[in-house]
Amino acid sequence: MNGNKLSLTLAAIFFLATAAACDRSKPEIRLESAWARRAPMAGGGTQSGAASERGNGAVYATVVNAGKTTDVLIAGASEAADAVELHESYEMSGMMMMRPVPKFEIPAGGKLEMKPGGYHLMLLRLKRDLTPGEKIKASLTFEKAGQVSVDAEVR
Amino acid sequence: MAFRRLLTVVTLALLWLSVGPLHGAEFRAGVLQPPRKAPDFTLKASNGAEFRLSRYQGKVVLMGFGYTYCPDVCPTTLADLALVRKKLGADAERVQVIYVTVDPERDTVERLRAYMNAFDKTFLGLTGTPEQLTGVRKGYGVSTRKTVVDKKSGAYLVHHSASIHFIDGAGYLRIMAPFGTSVEDMAHDVKLLLTERQR
Repeated sequence: MNGNKLSLTLAAIFFLATAAACDRSKPEIRLESAWARRAPMAGGGTQSGAASERGNGAVYATVVNAGKTTDVLIAGASEAADAVELHESYEMSGMMMMRPVPKFEIPAGGKLEMKPGGYHLMLLRLKRDLTPGEKIKASLTFEKAGQVSVDAEVR
Repeated sequence: MAFRRLLTVVTLALLWLSVGPLHGAEFRAGVLQPPRKAPDFTLKASNGAEFRLSRYQGKVVLMGFGYTYCPDVCPTTLADLALVRKKLGADAERVQVIYVTVDPERDTVERLRAYMNAFDKTFLGLTGTPEQLTGVRKGYGVSTRKTVVDKKSGAYLVHHSASIHFIDGAGYLRIMAPFGTSVEDMAHDVKLLLTERQR
């Protein structure tokens, strides 16, 4: 009787642990409607294209967290830029300001909407001009989901 | 007696309704009341010519401030203004968009030209000496703040007021559209300013 109870308990624990593990391995992060703003300043308007003259860009997307736990967007990268930073534009004393944000949290069952004048991925020092119609690749790194890639259409 | 009161209420309501549509002809973005003369200035334009505001009387001038290293707010504003001109159709010919740099150190005439052209070939980017640009910003109540984001490379951002100033055909400042004002509302207000001129 006691042995039976113990094995039942163990089975239950094992089941729960597996379920939790499964949950963690399937975080269900989805990127929707990703797009990039046109940016003509890769060469700084000249042919020299020195790093310091290369302009910046922005990628927007909606991150949907269909999983059961909060996930955190911690980094980004793109083939079109030297670096990608998480940024936020906001208004203060009549000015539009911008600041880097170390991470974006996306609650379970929630979403994070990046949009002009709000959260966005800043593309630093573009490697090429971003012209409307083309697509650029970007990848976002999440604490749980790992890397998620996306094609962003330039508009 | 009660009937008469009802009649009065109904009459007033009808009167209000008949006047109501006139109110539809009101501006949607922030109206500047009373309108004040837009301070005149001369700056270097991205088409290589000298730009003098007072020479543009007869046109509606939409004036914004920003810089070419700005990734989010400035390109959003310029893309929206390009859509406003598209929405206006043939009337767009009577609208001039000007974009004054808040970063004359880095924004050369060539940079401004390439930047403007990506949004609308008729847009003019404007630059000048730091003193000239400070004067223009003062005249329009525009503030800026430079923030170094990377000490190693010296890379910096310039925070700035991002409203669009609408100057009517007579050279008066009429409307300030804050960042985020919809393309529809801006086009609507430009149209109103244009019809005013025809009166």
